[in-house]
Formats: sequence, structure tokens, C-alpha cells
Amino acid sequence: MTKLLEVRDLHAFYGRTAALHGISFDMDQGSVTALLGANGAGKTTTLRAISGMIKRTGEIRLRDRSLMKTLTEDIVRIGVAHVPAGRGTFLKQTVEDNLRLGAITRHDKAGIAADVEMVYGYFPILKERRTQPAGLLSGGEQQMLAVGRALMLRPKLLLLDEPSFGLAPLIVREIFSILRRLNKEEKVSILLVEQNASIALELADHAYLIETGRIVFAGCASDIRNNEQLRRSYLGY
Amino acid sequence: MELLWQQVAAGFASGAIYACIALALVMIYQAIGHVNFAQGEMAMFSTFLAWQLMQWGFSYWIAFIGAVGISFAAGIVIDRLIFKPVRAGPVLTQIIMFVGLLTVINSVAGFIWDFTSKPFPSPFGANPLFGSWLISTHQAVMIAVTFMLLLYGFFRYTRVGLAMQSAAENPASAKLVGIRVEWMIALGWGMAASIGAVAGLLIAPIVFLEPNMMLGILLYGFAAAVLGGLSSPGGAVFGGFAVGIIENLSGIFIPVVGAEMKLTIALLIIISVLVIKPTGLFSVNQAERV
Repeated sequence: MTKLLEVRDLHAFYGRTAALHGISFDMDQGSVTALLGANGAGKTTTLRAISGMIKRTGEIRLRDRSLMKTLTEDIVRIGVAHVPAGRGTFLKQTVEDNLRLGAITRHDKAGIAADVEMVYGYFPILKERRTQPAGLLSGGEQQMLAVGRALMLRPKLLLLDEPSFGLAPLIVREIFSILRRLNKEEKVSILLVEQNASIALELADHAYLIETGRIVFAGCASDIRNNEQLRRSYLGY
Repeated sequence: MELLWQQVAAGFASGAIYACIALALVMIYQAIGHVNFAQGEMAMFSTFLAWQLMQWGFSYWIAFIGAVGISFAAGIVIDRLIFKPVRAGPVLTQIIMFVGLLTVINSVAGFIWDFTSKPFPSPFGANPLFGSWLISTHQAVMIAVTFMLLLYGFFRYTRVGLAMQSAAENPASAKLVGIRVEWMIALGWGMAASIGAVAGLLIAPIVFLEPNMMLGILLYGFAAAVLGGLSSPGGAVFGGFAVGIIENLSGIFIPVVGAEMKLTIALLIIISVLVIKPTGLFSVNQAERV
């Protein structure tokens, strides 16, 4: 396995307040890695730090290329697609324009058109609603659109922030099974942040437990699933 | 009856100009969430630039294109130099920057070209809107409408247009798809300055060229933008024409109003809209998740 993402001694700050206190972790090419933990543990902050949305120190490398001095807009161009919490949908634009926005940094017209169809293949409901403003979609559909928009970048790394948030259990199942297919069929590497640990661990190969800005456990997803004490004390199920 | 139609046509002509100003206000409002109080002065300065180019012997249309082009660049420079550094600052800071910009441009224009009124030529011969009004108002409207259609096409059909809209709607998310939001804002400033220049060039033959010429016009443009909804370009255009026609008709047909009270109509429109439908006629209600 080649290493895709390498995070070393990452500190992140909101103003002067530190939210991460030296996090280190790795991620393999083609894997699904989950960051788990309670509210306020620093999961979202970690993703925001990788995307350069907040002040940070330490080291973040994507395939041996440091992201520390790179602007958010350029980190996207390197191939990191970030689906933020709240989904970041452009509500006034149509579904299809939202997808096109995901590919706004690309210039291969034919490839973009093919990828729009690829996304419609995974999310047929989006094709039905392609001409509607995205603001009219349901929460689940918006989450699908957000994932679709990120795929339009042909990302090396997909950052997903709480894709299950606010959705009905059935919809969450559907989205996670599509995420699994994307990982297997399109070879998308996914860094997943979730509060819903049980479903995240079904999808993930590796997982890291974060508590108040520090990593408290790292290992295979199956190790955590089978470790009852860990599950009870940190994941609450 | 003929008087009525004449006044409606004249309303359309001035309405086209108000629409341009309103559109310029909306462009910047969408980009940074503030009303550019200096929009009128920027347009005035652009008009002086055109006048200067004509004094140097260039033809009207060369001067027109030159002024619009220079204004575009100047708009970008104003944003990058003056407004980008205070972007994260408090609202009051930004408002004061606008007021400062207004006074500075006004004084600089007065310093360079002095405060006496200058006749400004029209591409359609002398005194277009009141002389052979039928043809000339028609042409003034044509120019303004052409610009609006160009703008519409730009936003509707180009990648950059889509990127600009998205940057205005959701800057954080726009950055996450790789849109250079700061440059989109600068582009918005440039375009606003250009549309303002068009408005200035079209109105100057009527109000005569001097540093304070846009004072009333900006108020009408502001009324138009508020009427249509500050976040709706289409609404701004509609508002512009509506204000132009209302202003002209009430000036003629409501005896109390007359020519002197016309400006009051603009203020009346602003106040009524703000009281009855604060978001304007065409603005989409912005729901915010809390």
C-alpha cells in the first residue's frame, strides 16, 4: 500500500484558541479511513485544517507534497475534494450546475460530461432533478449532490464531514452503500468524519479515535468494532 | 394621450440609466453584502475620463469604450487596494470606506476638471432625450439594454459567470470547489464600475458633466435596487424601469409633484418598499440555518 496522506503533529487554531493538540495519522491510497469521536473532539477541525480553511501548524503531506503553505483553492486543484458539514450546496443553482461547479477547475469538456453521467449513474435521483434548483432537494438528496459534486473533481482524496447528519437511517444506509461502491469501483480514497461510529466502522478500513484534539486510539476498523470497552467508553454503542 | 406615451418613453430612457446604476449596486452588494455609496461618484469619474479622451481628440465611441475599459480596471484596483484589506473588518469600517471613497473621488474630479458644468456630447446629436426624443431615447435604451443582455448572457452561460454567482451565494463552499473567491469579488467591482460608466455616459448629456452630477441619479438607482431587491439583478433592472416611469409620470400628472419634487418620489419608493416588503419585489427569501 502506498501512503496517500500523512499528517504529523498537526495543531489547529480558531483565533488564538487551539482546537487540535498535535494530531498524527496516515492514510493509505485507496482506503477508507474514519475519524471518530464525540462532539467537539476536533474531527471537523482536522478536515478543515487539511483543506487549509483555518490556521494550522505541523505537517500535512499528500503524496509527499506539503499542503501547509497552500491556499484552499489550490489544495482543491491538487486533488482534495472536501464535502463540508452542512453539505455546502449552492442552493440557487440547478443540480447539474452544482455538479459542474465541482469540476470548475477542470478544462476537459468531454471528461466533465462523462463524469456528470457517472455521478447520475450512482445517484439516479439527481438525474431526475437535474434542472431543479438544488435548494428544492431533500436533505438526503442534497447529501448525494454534495458527494457527486466532490466526485466531479476526480479527487485523489475525498474528505467527508458527517455525511449521515440529519438523515433518516434508511437514507444513511443507502448513501454509505454508494460510498462503498465508489471506493471499490472508482478507487476513491475517503477520509470520513462521523459521529455515527457503528456505520462508519462498517465502511472504514482504518479508524482513529479523537478526544479533545488528541488521538487516543488508532487501528483497524475491525479491532475497534470488536473492542467492547473502547466502544462503550468512546463511541457509546 | 400622446403626452402619456411620450412620458412613458422618456421614463424608459431614464429608467434604463437607473437600471444600470441599480445593477452596479447589486453586483457589489451580492459580492460583499454592502451598498456601494460611491457608485455614483465612480460613474461620474468614468464620464469625466470619457470627456477627457474626447478633449484629446478621440471619437465618441473610442472614448466610450476607453472609459468603460479603464473603469473596469479601476474597479478591480479599488477592491484589491482599498476594500480587500478591510474585508473581515466591522460593518462600520466598510461603510466609512465607501463614504471616504465617495468624497475622495468627488474632490479629485473637482481638482482635475473643476466644478463648472461642462456640456457632454451625445452620440445621437444634441440634447437627445428632449430633442428628437423618439429616436434618441430609443437608442439610449438600446445601449443600456444591450449591456444588460450581455451581462445576463455572461452570468447564464459562462463558467466565470457561474463561478461568480456561486462565490456570492456561498463563499466558503465556492473555495472548496476551487473558485478564487477574492478574484470573483474584484471582478464584480470591475463590472460594476463598467456598468456605472455606461450609466454616467448616458445621463451626462442631460444633467451636464460636473462632479456632483450623479447625486440624484444614485438615489434613483438606489430606489430601483431596493424596489427590485438588492440581491436580484433582474429585479434591479425591473426596478430601474419602474422608477423611471413612475418618476416621469408623477412629475407630469400629479400637480403637487412637478419637476422639483421628483426626487422625493425616489425616497418615497425606498421607504414604502422597506416598510412593506423589505427584501424587495424579486428577492428570494434567505432562510438561514441556525
